[in-house]
Amino acid sequence: MSTPSNQDPRLDQAAASDESLLAAHEKLLGKQPDEKARYKLLPLNLLFLFSGLIFFAGTYLNRYSGLFDPKIYNENELPGTGAPVAVKVDPLVLGKKQYDAVCITCHQGTGLGQPGVYPPLVAADWVIGSEERLIRLVLYGLNGPIKVNGVDYNGAMPAIGKVAGSGYNLSDEKVAAVLTYVRQQWGNTAGPITTEQVSAIRAKEGDRKAYVAEELLKFQ
Amino acid sequence: MSSPSTTAEVTGADTVGRWPLLLLLASGLVWLVLSGVLALIASIQLHSPAFLADCESLTHGRVTSLAETTFIYGWAANTGLGVALWVLGRLGGAPLRALNWAVVGTLFWNAGISLGLVGIATGDATSFALLEMPRYVQPLLVAAYVAIGVSGILAWSGRRTDGTFASQWYAVAALFLFPWLLIAAQTMLLWSPVRGVLQAVVNGWYVQGAFSLWLAPLALAGVYYVVPKATGRTLPSYEFASLSFWTLLFVGSLTGGRHLIGGPVPAWIPTLANAACTMLLFHYAVVALNLRGAFSGGSTALRFISFGLVAYLLGAVLDAVTAFRGVALVTQFTSFATAQQQLALYGGISMFLFGSLYFAVPRLTGRAWASAALLRGHLALASFGVVLLVVTLAAAGWTQGQDLNHAATSFADIAAHTRPWLLGVTAAQGILLLGNLLLLVNFAISVSSVCCSAPAENSFRQPSTMEAHAS
Ligand code: HEC
Repeated sequence: MSTPSNQDPRLDQAAASDESLLAAHEKLLGKQPDEKARYKLLPLNLLFLFSGLIFFAGTYLNRYSGLFDPKIYNENELPGTGAPVAVKVDPLVLGKKQYDAVCITCHQGTGLGQPGVYPPLVAADWVIGSEERLIRLVLYGLNGPIKVNGVDYNGAMPAIGKVAGSGYNLSDEKVAAVLTYVRQQWGNTAGPITTEQVSAIRAKEGDRKAYVAEELLKFQ
Repeated sequence: MSSPSTTAEVTGADTVGRWPLLLLLASGLVWLVLSGVLALIASIQLHSPAFLADCESLTHGRVTSLAETTFIYGWAANTGLGVALWVLGRLGGAPLRALNWAVVGTLFWNAGISLGLVGIATGDATSFALLEMPRYVQPLLVAAYVAIGVSGILAWSGRRTDGTFASQWYAVAALFLFPWLLIAAQTMLLWSPVRGVLQAVVNGWYVQGAFSLWLAPLALAGVYYVVPKATGRTLPSYEFASLSFWTLLFVGSLTGGRHLIGGPVPAWIPTLANAACTMLLFHYAVVALNLRGAFSGGSTALRFISFGLVAYLLGAVLDAVTAFRGVALVTQFTSFATAQQQLALYGGISMFLFGSLYFAVPRLTGRAWASAALLRGHLALASFGVVLLVVTLAAAGWTQGQDLNHAATSFADIAAHTRPWLLGVTAAQGILLLGNLLLLVNFAISVSSVCCSAPAENSFRQPSTMEAHAS
C-alpha cells in the first residue's frame, strides 16, 4: 500500500478507485467483530461508550425532566416534593391597597380626615384602642354623633365588610389588612389585626345595621 | 498490491457533470465572498456603531441577517449540494442524470436567495433565526432545492454498483431531509404560525436541524469520500459508521432546545436537548475514528479536512459542555454562542467543504488548480482566520457574560471591556475574506482555462485498488 506522494499541491491524486473503495468498505461491514475468535478491543470500547452515553442521557433526562409537565419551567423545583408553599401576602401591602381604594376618599392620604366632616385616624383611640370596637365599626359602619380625640362629628361611616347593605364587601382578609395598616401607619403603633379576629366577629354579629357610638363603647 | 484498476480516475462521466456542478460550486464561492464582506461590516459596527449606520439597509440587524443568510443558503448550500451530487454520481458508477433540472434549480435557488436578500435589506425580514428571508421566497427555495436534488436521488436509486458507502447515506439524507425541515419550519412559523413560546421552540429546532440534518450531512458526504480516496486506506472502525449516522439523524435536531436554556419554556425541552447533546457525542467519536486518516496529511484536501475535523469535534464538546445550565448561565445570549456557531459552521462545515472542493474541482475540469500559491495562501489565511475569529468571539462573549451577570456593571463598561476582542473579530473577518478571495480567483482561473487549453493528458495517476484490511 503506497500513499501517493503529492508533489503537486494543485492536484490531489487518488490512491484508490471508486469501485475498490466501495467494495473494500462493503467487505468491512460483512466482517464479524470476533473474527478468528479474537475480540478486538476498539469495537467493544465503542459499544461501552454508546451504552454509557445512553445511560447518562437517560439519567439526566429523568432527573431534570420536570416530569415533562408543560407548566414546570424550573427543573429543580418540582411540585409535591415538599409542603405546598402558600403564598404569603404582606398585610401592610394589601392593607395600603385597600386604604387607597376605599378609605382615602374620606379620611385622606394623610389619615387626618376633613375637619368637621371626616374624623382623623391618626392617633385616634378608636383606631389604636380596642380591637373589638374598631373591627365592628369598620365592618358594619357607624351612624350619628361620635367624639374623636375630643372633637364631635356627626356623619355616617359606611359598612366596609362583607355584610348586608355594604357597598364595599371587602373580604375578612382585606378588612384585617386595612385595619392593620391604619393601626401602624402615620406614627400609629398598635398591634396587627388578624383575619381570624374579623371572621369571628362577623360570625358572631351576623347581619345587622350600622352601629351608633354608645353601642361600640360597650366593647372594651 | 498495486494492481492498477481498470477505470481511469477521470472519465467521461465526470465531463457530463462538469458545467452543472461547476455552476453550483461557483455560485457557492461568490456568495461566500459576499457574505464575508457583509460579516466584516457587521463586525465593524459592533465596535464602531456609527459605521454605515445612516444606510438603512445596512444597519446592524439587517447586515447580520444578510451575512448569515448568504453564508448558509448561498455558500454552504450551493457548495454542499455540488459536492453531494458529485459524490453520488461517482459512487453511483454512472454519469449523473437530470442535470438540466439541477441547472434550472440552481438558477432559481440563487434567484430566490437574491430576492430574499433584497427583502431583508428593505425591511421584510422575518424575526426567525436562519429563516430571515421573507416568506414570499420560501416556496421558491423549496421547489428549487428539490429540482437540484432530483439528480442526486436518481444517481442513488439508479446506482450500478453493489453496496453503498457512508458518503452516499449522508448525501441522500441531506437531499431528503432539508425540504421536509424547511417546509415544516416555514409552515409553523411563517404560514400558520404556532402560538407564543412554541415559536421559539420550533425555531430552535429548525436552526439545529439545519446544521445537524442538512449542512453537517452535506459536508460529511464529501469528506467521507475524499479521505479514503486520498489516503487509499479503508476507514478505521467503519462498522460503526452507520450507527453514528443514525445517531446524528435521530438525536441531532433534538439538541435544538439548548438554545432556549434560561428562556420561558417548559423545563423538559432544554433537558431533552442536553441529554441529546450527550448522546450526539457518540456520532462525533465515530466520525473522529473514521476520519482520523485525514491527519496523515500530504494532500491539499486533507489539510483542510483535518482542520475541519478538529473544529467539528471541538464544536461538539463545547456544545455538550455549554448545554449544561451552570455554564449556559454565562455563555447564553452572548457572543460566546456566536463563537460556537462560527466554530461549527466555519471551522467544521466550511473547512470540510473546502477540502472536498479542492479534491473535486480538478476532476471536474480535468486539470490541476491554476495556482499553488493562491491555494497555500487560502489554506493559511482560512486556518488562521478561523482560529482568530473563534478565540476572539469566545473571549468577548465570556467577558460580556461575566459582566452581564453583575448588575452593578454598567452597559458602557461592558462595551469597553469587550472592545479589544471585537477589534480582533474584525481582523479575523478581514483575513477570512482575503483568503476566500484567493480561492475565488484561483477557481475562476482554473475554470476558465478549461475553455482555452487542452488538459495535460496524464496528469491524473491511475488509482490502485483498495483492499479491506484490519484497521
Ligand atoms: C364615605 C366616607 C368614608 C369612607 C369611605 C370611610 N370612612 Fe371612616 N368614617 C367616615 C365618617 C363620616 C366617620 C365618622 C362617623 C360618624 O360621625 O358617625 C368615620 C369614622 C371612622 C372611624 C372612627 C373614627 C376615627 O376617626 O377614629 C374609623 C376608625 C374609620 N372611620 C375607619 C375607616 C376605614 C379603615 C375606612 C376604609 C376601609 C373608612 N373609614 C372609610 C367616613 C368614611
